[in-house]
Amino acid sequence: MYILVIGCSELGYHLTKALLASGHEVMVVEKSQVRCDILTEELGSVAWQGDGTVESTLKQAGAARADVLIAATGHDETNLVACQLAKHVFQTSRTMAMIKDPKNEPVFHILGVDIVINSTHLILESLEERIPGRTFLRLMNLRSSSTGLVSITIPEDAGVVGRRLDDVELPPRSFISLVVKTNGVERPSGDLILEAEDEVIAVIPSGGEQTLYDILTGV
Amino acid sequence: MRILILGCGPLTSLLLASPDSAEHRFTVISDDIDRLNGVADEPRVTPLLILEPQMQDYLRMGGIDNADAFLALSEDEHQNILTAQIAKHVFNVGKVVCRLENPQLQRLYSGLDLEMVSPTLDLLQGLNRVLQSQIH
Repeated sequence: MYILVIGCSELGYHLTKALLASGHEVMVVEKSQVRCDILTEELGSVAWQGDGTVESTLKQAGAARADVLIAATGHDETNLVACQLAKHVFQTSRTMAMIKDPKNEPVFHILGVDIVINSTHLILESLEERIPGRTFLRLMNLRSSSTGLVSITIPEDAGVVGRRLDDVELPPRSFISLVVKTNGVERPSGDLILEAEDEVIAVIPSGGEQTLYDILTGV
Repeated sequence: MRILILGCGPLTSLLLASPDSAEHRFTVISDDIDRLNGVADEPRVTPLLILEPQMQDYLRMGGIDNADAFLALSEDEHQNILTAQIAKHVFNVGKVVCRLENPQLQRLYSGLDLEMVSPTLDLLQGLNRVLQSQIH
């Protein structure tokens, strides 16, 4: 697969190394000549010096035959322009953009970016995973809707312990998709009894996380 | 009309000083406090200083929900492109204009139905007219 990476920040650098190690053909478009030189010295001819939001630069870097374009500069707006150029001028089949402002995620989807990676959410998830005794974990955001997948572990003193799933009133447009019990995974049915230490995997519209958390963990 | 403007450069200053704009009320968003101070004396202008790049929050604070028009006139073309498209597709502002100087990007975004202005191109056309009149 031919992958074009726009921007060689620390993220772009490690991404390029990983993609090359996976056997992909990669070209990095980077404004800074110094960064390009470092990349070339270390990884070979994988850097193209230029601005990834300029049509002629993308053309020279082979955008017309790229299978994927990953816009990984540190600026949301620059990443959007690179993806829109790739999509509409070069008909690149997959465009991916890194974003910092979480509110830009639905906008980027509306504007045709195929995959939007929210670095703020990634860092948050990573932090949540490392906090001992965590009861809430954001697993992923579902594409093209303001909906996410979350994991909530039911504490011992929660009011829902011992209750049937049907008797638990969930927030609007949310549902439980899986319950992980100590003895295995169960597909949720109305008769399923919630127990302490159950890990509930739920689909929840954006903004409803706190309500769902309160319902499943409240005393 | 209630008009929200991103950017407080010479173009915005000229627009605010124009007799045609006397009837309108403006909110100007910029990260340049000196330039905002330069337009703040005007009673029909509300300045709004940007501290962090969370553009949708600032657009809301600037009253984009009730704006009749949004003009992205900053000197950062990429920022203009992003905010103009947010204004158009997220806040459904009736009139959105984006300042773009790069001809390649102009071609792309005119195809994506974004209305544009280009001071450089206008200047070029004016220069061409002057040169033509000198020749004839």
